[in-house]
Amino acid sequence: MELSINSNQSILEEEKNRSVSEPIQFIVVRLGEEQYGIDIRNIDNIVKMQRITHVPKLPAYLKGVINMRGEVIPVLSIRLKMGLADDEITKATRILIVKLEEEGNVGFIVDEVKEVVTLYETDIERISSDITQDRGSLINAVGKHNGELISIFDLAAISLEEN
Amino acid sequence: MDVSQYLEIFLDETNEHLTNLNTRIMELESDPENMDTINEIFRAAHSLKGMAGTMGYKRMQNLTHDMENVFSEVRNGVIKVNSEIIDVLFQCLDALEEYKDNIQGSADEGTNDNEPIIKMLNSILNGSGAAAPAKEAADKEAAPSVQETVSNKWDHVMLDDSQVNVIREAQKQGKKVYGLNVMVQESCILKAARAFLVFKAVEEQGEIIVSDPSAQDVEDEKFDRDFTLIIFSDAELDDIIKASEAVSEIDKVIGAELDLSNNKNVHIPAEEEEAPAEEESGEEESATAVAAPESAPAAAPAAKAEPKKQTPAKPVVNRTVRVDIEKLDSLMNLVSELIIAKNSLVSVSSQEQTDVNSAFNEQIEYLESVTTNLHESVMKVRMVPIESVVTKFPRMIRDLSKKLDKKMELYMTGEETELDRTVVDQIGDPLMHLLRNSADHGLEPAEVRIQRGKPAVGSIFLDAYQEGNTVVIEVRDDGNGIDVEAVKQKAIDRGTITVEQAANMTDKEIIDLLFLPSFSTAKKVTDVSGRGVGLDVVKSMIESLSGEVEVKSKLGEGSTWTIRLPLTLAIIQALMVVVGEEKYAISLGSIQTLEDVPASDVKLVQNKEVIHLRGTVIPLIRLNEVLDVERKPTDDENLIVVIVKKGDRLAGLVIDELIGQQEIVIKSLGKYIKQCKFISGATILGDGEIALILDANTLI
Repeated sequence: MELSINSNQSILEEEKNRSVSEPIQFIVVRLGEEQYGIDIRNIDNIVKMQRITHVPKLPAYLKGVINMRGEVIPVLSIRLKMGLADDEITKATRILIVKLEEEGNVGFIVDEVKEVVTLYETDIERISSDITQDRGSLINAVGKHNGELISIFDLAAISLEEN
Repeated sequence: MDVSQYLEIFLDETNEHLTNLNTRIMELESDPENMDTINEIFRAAHSLKGMAGTMGYKRMQNLTHDMENVFSEVRNGVIKVNSEIIDVLFQCLDALEEYKDNIQGSADEGTNDNEPIIKMLNSILNGSGAAAPAKEAADKEAAPSVQETVSNKWDHVMLDDSQVNVIREAQKQGKKVYGLNVMVQESCILKAARAFLVFKAVEEQGEIIVSDPSAQDVEDEKFDRDFTLIIFSDAELDDIIKASEAVSEIDKVIGAELDLSNNKNVHIPAEEEEAPAEEESGEEESATAVAAPESAPAAAPAAKAEPKKQTPAKPVVNRTVRVDIEKLDSLMNLVSELIIAKNSLVSVSSQEQTDVNSAFNEQIEYLESVTTNLHESVMKVRMVPIESVVTKFPRMIRDLSKKLDKKMELYMTGEETELDRTVVDQIGDPLMHLLRNSADHGLEPAEVRIQRGKPAVGSIFLDAYQEGNTVVIEVRDDGNGIDVEAVKQKAIDRGTITVEQAANMTDKEIIDLLFLPSFSTAKKVTDVSGRGVGLDVVKSMIESLSGEVEVKSKLGEGSTWTIRLPLTLAIIQALMVVVGEEKYAISLGSIQTLEDVPASDVKLVQNKEVIHLRGTVIPLIRLNEVLDVERKPTDDENLIVVIVKKGDRLAGLVIDELIGQQEIVIKSLGKYIKQCKFISGATILGDGEIALILDANTLI
């Protein structure tokens, strides 16, 4: 009995150590006044806002398609997807090309790309599902960095979403 | 030995041989005396047997072996071909097909021994009386001629001094030096592997002094059908030969004790011996050509040019390479990228309208022609004749004829018409449905046909030809045609349409009802067709290949089913148009004409906009409404209308502006976007922008 508790503790210890030793980098973007983070390993590219070709008969948040090095990539508005006001295109507006496991590359329109931050597992707090309901189920964790909160996108939720 | 890596080749070639056999046996039935056909059949059966043996499929080997025996008797004139034999042979092919399917599914041939078929084959053989001896006689007849051609090959092997010394030394020590000539079966596909096994077998008994071609060349399969070894050993010659012949797919091993004095190459300066060697190899070539008539005689002189190669001539046919379709796909993608890059250069050059860059323009035009040619070549590589699909149909019609007890003939033309490989792979089933449909529903029973003054034997035609950018495949019969009234009645009975609707429908519209799911007019359900699954499947399969199918029919005279398929699926010629702020591409294949129509000419019929054009009323489709885009405000009174056609139906698409014709590369919109049905994809324009491709077929 005692032994198993001990070993459990050591596993926990190890877990902690590992998470300390393996930080995750996030790209921090701005949408309105809020900051959001996306795991950098899922980002393929960041491009400037460009003309988006409109595709008929699609939900409003699907803005259309763009050409990324010869590949046709759908672009969606995270704002509309989360129920915020439509994007206002400024000089800072960027399209984040995100790799989704199932659907391939998809572009996200964001108001601004701010920085890359490094977060440790200890800085990240998973949030329960009832809070995520309010955010259109796109967020599954919140990270703390320099006293600011960064909401972290749940890419699986975006890719699972029926459109 | 692990043969799994050869499984794919085996399946491929088995398929080829089975198709070939099917065709040839059909030919044989109509022309039982044709020796060429019989030889061809014999060869195919023989190769099949060899391959099955190599791969260790014993049951398949047994069956083909017995089949081959029958063919061999036919070839020797002992058995006369009759329709009974043909039936049995077809059963054999079906059984082989079954083995093949099993192997394809599970790499195992299954457990069906097909004994009844083997028995039937044997009874055919026994029925011919002198069957077995005749075969042996034939074998013996063949044997000596082979023996003659290669008997003293080892006397022609080039030996250098050290090798001669080794031989002399061995002979001094009382060892026996043998020359061996090993013939590999013609059908053998793993020659190097077989040769390796022979080497091993020989080395167990003695030592190899010389190999011609060299061991390295043999390992690399750089030999035709035979190779020569000089060995020394304590063992008896017979034992060595036996051990070598035990390797499967080895046709024959002959050997004798080597007598160096017979070898003309020993102690003769290299330059001098060149000439006689050439003469001899020439003689050999002709001797081989007699022994094996299938090796093209034309090959013999070609081989003379390489005097040192003392192997039988290889027929210089089929210089082909099997390529993985995926590699072609990636090549095709690269060509697509190149075309996009070229298009962007074109658009850059057209923007800079200065005279200075005329040389630049020239180069771009040159690049344009090169990319177009490159694209065409890659497309051509992907094209295969539809032959591979349609050759199984005569056999199918023959079976149907027996099953349905109707007399019918299938006439095919244009088997050589080529289509993209991916299309050809999928066109078989729809065509089969249509042919079965014609055989079952189309053609009347013989009595009815005679009453109607038609020949008792019904005709079904399968014609394929290229028409512009499309390939047309027509299935036509001279049967009853489609009974429009019966279809109408059936549709009403089923509640598909109401009586009022029926009254307003044209014959063509009613015939189109046949393509709806679960709609069958057959009074009798047979296992050939008539379960009401079929025509709708045909339609959806053809449409998934971006093709279309339509039917014309005249009651009492027959019907014609026409399938139209695009030549290529990846790159098309398209008309670029502007609607609102967006650019769209419309495949040139579906465009009939471009019209400039005064707005005042647009009339309303049943609350729909139409125009009257050269005697036809054409419905108008306002693209900006369909595509949810704002129309550009213009003060132009005229409408630009693109007249598109689908079958014989026309429609006018109203656009804002014309850009022109362009070669476009079709790209998918990706999985994230569920495409609306009238967008068939997207393409990237020269300036990097994306234009959507409109599928005119679904708009009409």
